[in-house]
Amino acid sequence: MKSVRAVVFNAYCWVVYGFLLAPIAVVVLASFNSGAFLTFPPQGLSLRWYYVFFDNEVFWRAIRTSLWVAAVATVISGAVGTAAAIFQVRYAGRGKEAVRMAMLAPLLLPEVLTAIALLFFVYGLGIGTKGMVGLLAGHLLVTLPFVFMNVAASLESFEPDWDLAARSLGAGRWARFRRVMLPMIKPGVIGGCLFAFIISFDTFTMSFLLKSVGTATLPIQLYDYLRTNFTPEAAAVSSFSVILTLVVVVVSEKLLGLKIRRF
Amino acid sequence: MTEVSLRQLTKQFGSFRAVDGISLEIGHGAFVSLLGPSGCGKTTTLKLIAGFEAVDGGAILFDGADVARLPAERRDIGMVFQNYALFPHLTVGGNLAFGLEMRKRPREEIARRTAEVLEMVQLQGLAGRYPRELSGGQQQRVALARALVIEPRILLLDEPLANLDAKLRDEMRFFIRDLQKRVGITTIYVTHDQSEALTMSDQVVVMFGGRIAQIGAPEDIYDRPASRAVADFVGRVNVIDARVTAAAAGGFQVATELGAFGLAGTAQPGQTLALALRPEAIGLTAGGDATVIAAAYSGGLVDYRVRTAQGRVLDVQAFPVPRFAVGDAVRLDVAAERLWPLA
Repeated sequence: MKSVRAVVFNAYCWVVYGFLLAPIAVVVLASFNSGAFLTFPPQGLSLRWYYVFFDNEVFWRAIRTSLWVAAVATVISGAVGTAAAIFQVRYAGRGKEAVRMAMLAPLLLPEVLTAIALLFFVYGLGIGTKGMVGLLAGHLLVTLPFVFMNVAASLESFEPDWDLAARSLGAGRWARFRRVMLPMIKPGVIGGCLFAFIISFDTFTMSFLLKSVGTATLPIQLYDYLRTNFTPEAAAVSSFSVILTLVVVVVSEKLLGLKIRRF
Repeated sequence: MTEVSLRQLTKQFGSFRAVDGISLEIGHGAFVSLLGPSGCGKTTTLKLIAGFEAVDGGAILFDGADVARLPAERRDIGMVFQNYALFPHLTVGGNLAFGLEMRKRPREEIARRTAEVLEMVQLQGLAGRYPRELSGGQQQRVALARALVIEPRILLLDEPLANLDAKLRDEMRFFIRDLQKRVGITTIYVTHDQSEALTMSDQVVVMFGGRIAQIGAPEDIYDRPASRAVADFVGRVNVIDARVTAAAAGGFQVATELGAFGLAGTAQPGQTLALALRPEAIGLTAGGDATVIAAAYSGGLVDYRVRTAQGRVLDVQAFPVPRFAVGDAVRLDVAAERLWPLA
């Protein structure tokens, strides 16, 4: 027989999950609304607003921009964050704590402030927000800490003797990284990159301040849309973005394998 | 086979001199142990030879060529670590192939060498296992195989038996020594365990405080220790005060509280000496003026603690027959040839 404590704990867990997932469920259900306004519960079921969304080139352009920015941000923070984590754990010595704080600083400061500071910075440099450079820099700032944290955590269980053993067997720096360290920190690298991708795909503040005129990432486009319209098309777009993110996570987990330590 | 020589090797960590001017010659195919308490610099010396630490002074010669500035990956050494340091993401076969792949050997040669070495360490058929699926002793043998498969110039072992249980440790001593003889590789073995050093080595190097206290064959180290510190560290020892009473060519007489003895060597009459006497060099017979004050039975031998009539406490190790109990009166028979004057 289950104790009262276990029943209460179970119920508590369900409440927490419900609290977290209910808004998403509401959005998804609202997207099948056949009415003209975004309401819940939906008035009748139809795919009407999905057809509208699929024909709306504005949203597709925003999705392509978001995917592109997220992909580039993920690749760069994957490489830089991994390198930074290796330096921090294995070589920083006394500066270890300082390096960690510096890498995590973007998480500790309000994103708006970081974005505004970056905006001044890119204009100060004369780059401005014409191209994608400012936007990418902003996205890198918010994604880097996640790669860094994940890789640093997986490096803690990396035994220095493995590296020495590889050296004694004749492996140079690159071979030691590629054949010994990378396979062992792989779960951290992939986990960090997934985080980076999702964060970049979702971030609003950075994109809002640093995007160039005329381009928009998906969250920006959605925000723009909702300022003037209140149709279930917004819910359809949101549901699609949720599914896209899920697909990215599931596919990379299947393809790259978070659990198995083999490349 | 490679000849190794260390010349005035030093290594400093901050203000701490871990290795303080070590010079050592190791012949072709010799098995040399670095023996000492923790912090004596033996592991640092090994790391200097391996190239894992940069030398601060002195030279490391492999067959006369200085390798002290060469990175570890180009020194051609085989190394066995205390925790084995097997790559957990590779199978036994993958671990063994690693060094050969780094040397860009052809696939067939890698397969052949790997199989040969696995047989050499009696692990045929385990190539497909992962290290975590092996016992401690098997992991140990994989570590040895991985170090040897690349046919290194020298083999370095850093306390490789420390993590094994007692019975396996004894087996592995013979296994490693036998393997080393068959391969004929120059080997440097770091340990803090005196019995490992004595049973396995051609030469034992006793180290204290970053310096060499004594170099010699196991018999030299045990029976003819250079100092009281060496005698103490390598097994148990009784130290007895002696006064030289007479000297002649090739020998001298001493008087001690255990009686008068003739010793080989030179000394001045009137000189005082400290003599080392191992516990097993004292025999016990019933009836005498010494008293057994403690006895510990350990299977093959019994460790006694005996108080002499003069009040001196001595360690004695003897066979269990005849057996003495605490309080028994015993006579001490000292094997004069086992008395050794300490410097």
